Amino acid sequence: MEALSQLMGGFADAVTPLNLLFALIGTLLGTAVGVLPGIGPAMTVALLLPITYVLEPTGAFIMFAGIYYGGMYGGSTTSILLNTPGESSSIMTALEGNLMAKAGRGAAALGTAAIGSFVAGTIGTLLLALVAPAVVTLAVAIGPADYFALALLAFVAVSTVLGASPLRGLASLCIGLFLGLVGTDLLTGQQRFTFAVPQLADGIDVVVVAVALFAVGEALHVASRLRHGPVEVMSSSGSFMTRDDFRRSWKPWLRGTAFGFPFGALPAGGAEIPTFLSYATERRLARHSDFGRGAIEGVAGPEAANNAAAAGVLVPLLTLGLPTSATAAILLAAFQGYGIQPGPTLLTTESSLVWTLIASLFIGNTMLLVLNLPLVGVWVKLLKIPRPYLYAGILMFASLGSYAVNADPLDLVLLLVIGLLGFAMRRFGWPVAPAVIGLILGPVAETNLRRALAISDGDLSALVSSPFSVVVLLVAVLAVVGPPVLRRFRRREAVAV
Amino acid sequence: MSTAAPTPRPTPQPTTQPTTQPTSDHPRTPEPWEVEESPRRPRNNGELALSTLLLLLGVYLVIGTGGITIPGSSNTVGPRFFPYLVGAATIVVGGALAIRVLRGDQGPEEGGEDVDPNAKTSWRAVGIITLAFLAHALLINVIGWPLSVTLMFGAVAWALGSRGVVRPLIAGGIVSVVVWLVFVKALGVTLPGGILLELATGWI
Repeated sequence: MEALSQLMGGFADAVTPLNLLFALIGTLLGTAVGVLPGIGPAMTVALLLPITYVLEPTGAFIMFAGIYYGGMYGGSTTSILLNTPGESSSIMTALEGNLMAKAGRGAAALGTAAIGSFVAGTIGTLLLALVAPAVVTLAVAIGPADYFALALLAFVAVSTVLGASPLRGLASLCIGLFLGLVGTDLLTGQQRFTFAVPQLADGIDVVVVAVALFAVGEALHVASRLRHGPVEVMSSSGSFMTRDDFRRSWKPWLRGTAFGFPFGALPAGGAEIPTFLSYATERRLARHSDFGRGAIEGVAGPEAANNAAAAGVLVPLLTLGLPTSATAAILLAAFQGYGIQPGPTLLTTESSLVWTLIASLFIGNTMLLVLNLPLVGVWVKLLKIPRPYLYAGILMFASLGSYAVNADPLDLVLLLVIGLLGFAMRRFGWPVAPAVIGLILGPVAETNLRRALAISDGDLSALVSSPFSVVVLLVAVLAVVGPPVLRRFRRREAVAV
Repeated sequence: MSTAAPTPRPTPQPTTQPTTQPTSDHPRTPEPWEVEESPRRPRNNGELALSTLLLLLGVYLVIGTGGITIPGSSNTVGPRFFPYLVGAATIVVGGALAIRVLRGDQGPEEGGEDVDPNAKTSWRAVGIITLAFLAHALLINVIGWPLSVTLMFGAVAWALGSRGVVRPLIAGGIVSVVVWLVFVKALGVTLPGGILLELATGWI
């Protein structure tokens, strides 16, 4: 129960008036930006990074805790109230949520989403606090070969398991790995692929790439196929959750949390799979099914799964330094911006920072519950922003964030070039998250691979010398080979029936 | 390559034989997020070009890696090892994807709240935004961030169909000056303000 006492210490640090103010600002900004259509959680965090440049680490991470959960929650409000498909992790919430709003039960849908987020976020953060120290004790013993295996697993999981087209995920990963190679080799100090441009010797900044792929790429993609005509925002009115709604919601909340957290915490993380599983489960379990006509279970479950996964993703991030979602990769970049390298030692070297961060997640999550329902009117107004202004504004903040990193106009040109790449990738269905993961984890993978091989004097069998690395590599192979095989197996079954 | 006739998306017929292309058809029941069919487009030359570029990137990586100096102290796993790996992987992935695309495979275009999958591509909007952003990048150190970003804001809003350019320019101007004041004067971020604004706010 040492974790609990340290968590209490975290609370003591987080509950100063100034830090509470940071948490409040983070939560509000995160939700407001997250609500804006076209802006997913990853873009929210990337665009809001510059705000924290000037804060000292504790304040910055308290704010980030609010931005992170706020961005997640904002996305679901958008998907319930806009009758158009949005980011992948809130599509499941949107299915029944839209229908409920259409049937005049928008307030109940938003209510079950808000309370479900709170329940899942609280349980998820509590699990994070309990699991993280245990993972760290295991992780301290693992060597470079094991790390390389973990990075490899994260690569294949993010590229092949999450997207619709595994090969396109790998293509995106390759782009990210290349961008990660640009710069000075960490171990020998040699310049690689810098095209003799001095600014590239330090490597390409993760913030620039993330903002380019997410914000600029998205703005260009939307511009190419903008939905014209008036924006249809559905009514958020109607009665709040009834007793019956609560009775129908609480089990899906808990089941959604049970799906979300483990999936988020595994290196094959991400919120898409658990939200889908939760939706499918609720659909199957619903007895007097009004699925397809706006079933509250279909909002409660996936929304809880989404938020629990968001908490779960922080387990590998804080304990291993392993980002498993694009949002986590950007958070990792923020850590590195402060010279903090997440990994097994983080919990000992930056103990108070980590526990303050975790305590702030609880605080931000509670603030979300208190603030969001009364503020629904504001969010609805945000949804109605004229689209030309919205996307012009996104580009304005993209410019601000990227220029502020190095105060170099070259970064803006780089931003545009990578943004155009992001546009092309979106157009052809190449997921962008693997590129961000490849960029940030590529150097980690390389360093550990070379360390492992240096210890073994170039003997490749060193990579499979520990049971841990063998298991992880096997899982990685399964992640590549499994889905196609499963699909074919299912097809046979379908043929047999 | 007209011989590679794009195979129409097969309807789930019970007689469909398993093929070696796992992702090119969906005989399983479509997941809810896939229900919305994207409009049928002809073979995707754009994606073919992008995958070929990826293949070329891989070739460049392998060739370029040979030019990285290996310091004498380094052993077998020097600075060239990982780039060779990445280069080889990039060639394989780029090549495989190019072949897939040639056979008529298409990825699901990314959706979004404001994306109309049935709209015709507006290259005009993409072009104007690209130029406006480039101009903004070149002008930022000359006329300052607020002014250059306001011009970009106006051009982008206009390209996306806002009524007139005066209102976007005014809106962009107000927002950019407020943002500049907040970020530079309150948060201390480095951002050139332009001569006028810096003189006017020198007392803060």
